[in-house]
Amino acid sequence: MKKRGIGYGSMFYGLGYGFSRTDIASATLEISQDGSIIARSGEVDYGQGSDTVFCQIIAEELGVDYSAIKLITADTDVTPDSGPTSASRLTFVGGNAFIKTSRSLKKILNGVAEDILGASDLVFREGMVFSRSAPEKSISFKKLAGRAYARGVPAVVTEWYNNTTQDVDPETGQGDAYATYCWATQMAEVEVDTETGRVEVLRIVAVTDVGKALNPLNCEAQIEGGVVQGLGYALEEEIKEEGGYVKTGTLGEYMIPTSLDIPTIEVHLLEVTEPKGPYGAKGVGEPALIPTPPAVLNAVRDALGLRIHKLPANLENVYHLINGAEAGN
Amino acid sequence: MQSYEYYAPRSLPDALEYLAENAKNCRIIAGGTDLIPALRNEDIHPAFLLNIMEIAEVGGISETEQTVRIGAITTFNDLAESGLIRKEFPILSEMALSVGGPQTRNRGTIGGNIASAAPAADGLPVFLSLDAEVELSSRRGKRNLPLNEAIAKAWTPAWGNDELITAIRIKKLPSGTRTAFYKLARRQAMARSRMTISLILRRDPAGIIEELRFVPGSVMPVPRRMEEIEKLLTGKVPTDELLDQAARAVGEEMVKVTGIRWSTGYKKPVLGNLFRIVLSQLITAG
Ligand SMILES: Cc1cc2nc3c(=O)[nH]c(=O)nc-3n(C[C@H](O)[C@H](O)[C@H](O)COP(=O)(O)OP(=O)(O)OC[C@H]3O[C@@H](n4cnc5c(N)ncnc54)[C@H](O)[C@@H]3O)c2cc1C
Repeated sequence: MKKRGIGYGSMFYGLGYGFSRTDIASATLEISQDGSIIARSGEVDYGQGSDTVFCQIIAEELGVDYSAIKLITADTDVTPDSGPTSASRLTFVGGNAFIKTSRSLKKILNGVAEDILGASDLVFREGMVFSRSAPEKSISFKKLAGRAYARGVPAVVTEWYNNTTQDVDPETGQGDAYATYCWATQMAEVEVDTETGRVEVLRIVAVTDVGKALNPLNCEAQIEGGVVQGLGYALEEEIKEEGGYVKTGTLGEYMIPTSLDIPTIEVHLLEVTEPKGPYGAKGVGEPALIPTPPAVLNAVRDALGLRIHKLPANLENVYHLINGAEAGN
Repeated sequence: MQSYEYYAPRSLPDALEYLAENAKNCRIIAGGTDLIPALRNEDIHPAFLLNIMEIAEVGGISETEQTVRIGAITTFNDLAESGLIRKEFPILSEMALSVGGPQTRNRGTIGGNIASAAPAADGLPVFLSLDAEVELSSRRGKRNLPLNEAIAKAWTPAWGNDELITAIRIKKLPSGTRTAFYKLARRQAMARSRMTISLILRRDPAGIIEELRFVPGSVMPVPRRMEEIEKLLTGKVPTDELLDQAARAVGEEMVKVTGIRWSTGYKKPVLGNLFRIVLSQLITAG
């Protein structure tokens, strides 16, 4: 028989390292005489899109085209220390570092531009620098860079952002341990085949407070990826070991979902501005994955009236749950 | 890295000559989806590799009035795309589409599936349910061997090492015959079968089962027809009670072959359940 159920999983997650642990990121910008920008960061983009967001931030701050920026990341020969790529902290900590660096560089360029244009209400936008009150007083960003170079002003700027927080009270464990918290809830709808133990996830609805979606498509993709990882965690992934040897050492044996196993994933981005975040943004990485397993397992419980305590909720474990026997392996 | 002599002839006689000359240390390679991993893992150390993918006589799908001949190097995708196969043996089309992923189906062949004789093979049990014959060729000549005599034990064919499968032959099914393949796996693609069900069913107008062929896959070292179950149901109207009885017997039959293993607690009841579910669907479908 096939039984359906719906379950929810909710989480909050402290972003960054918290508890007074060092949480810093540095970022470097270098401007060439042709106006191209070389950015350096120690943060690693392993698919989550941090490179994209960093370039967006620099482009936004300096009013230049995204394509004017060359970003070099995660090369210890040339990139500054930006702390580890973890804790869903890249946009928040690394992004704030790039805002600071961009603003420092802009201040230098602004000084040169004020001098050249004879105006002090300058705007950097779409590759131009101009006076807000007298827009005809203008110079292209590229030209400005060349003029700044000719004057010998600093062309390399490094700033860092310190996200280290207070510790909690050692006596009571109370306090504000993290710079900010991410929130997410997911709903899962499943169908359980009671005669085989197979759990099919029919639908996931994910609602995530992202603070501000600096790149909505990135946020959605990140959340979809997290959901898929969570589905694998709940239903498939298992390290088997025998006599000290891992028996599931390849992706043929260690099961993660394929594209055919992925249900409809409905993503809703909630934008609740975080004052400390870059333009109000928070992290998305881990919050995307955390609610999925509990949502799926609660849905299994809703379908069967039984709670599974042995993961993954695979064929054998679910079948034995239904039939009251302990799984053999 | 291993080194071996590699030969890819276009003519069958050339291939058979090469095979006969080097029989002891020669491996046939078709799609390579089983063989290449075995080479990489150093499970086998051949001195000669004979690629049969360039030989026309070993490919193609053709029919006579009575039978369909499927060349050994027919890939799973060839099989899935064949209108003739879909018409005569939809069970084969379904099986083909369940194998691995698109890349596996583009490379993997039916000859390789049978010759590998893996306990978890998906093609082998379906061909067994169709009472297929393998056409074996060697320098000595050609012979047809019923598939159920062609596998000695798990991973081991029963034919000579100078022979290769040139084709699979299957008799067309009498009209009114229905077939079903079901694969239970841990995920929807790129997954070894946990269990499969291959069923061939024909009933008379009164609903009495005239013929039933049933092969479970991935549960025994070498898949075979479960004749005890076929007998239990043939000549009868499949009532719910009878199906339940048969489902229980399926598990018992499995255990007779496999003994009790860690997976028995799951496989024994679930194999019976799957048998009942798939057979019931075939019955209600017509
Ligand atoms: C990622 C992946 C997923 C897979 N998924 C599945 C699956 O879902 N279901 C499944 O059943 N299998 C699966 N397989 C296994 C494999 O794809 C099949 O067994 C396939 O049918 C093997 O055919 P091949 O042409 O690649 O054989 P090869 O690797 O070329 O050969 C296999 C064996 O058969 C012998 N051989 C080949 N052709 C002949 C012949 N004509 N005559 C005599 N001997 C011959 C070879 O010498 C070798 O010993 C998978 C493999 C991979 C790598």
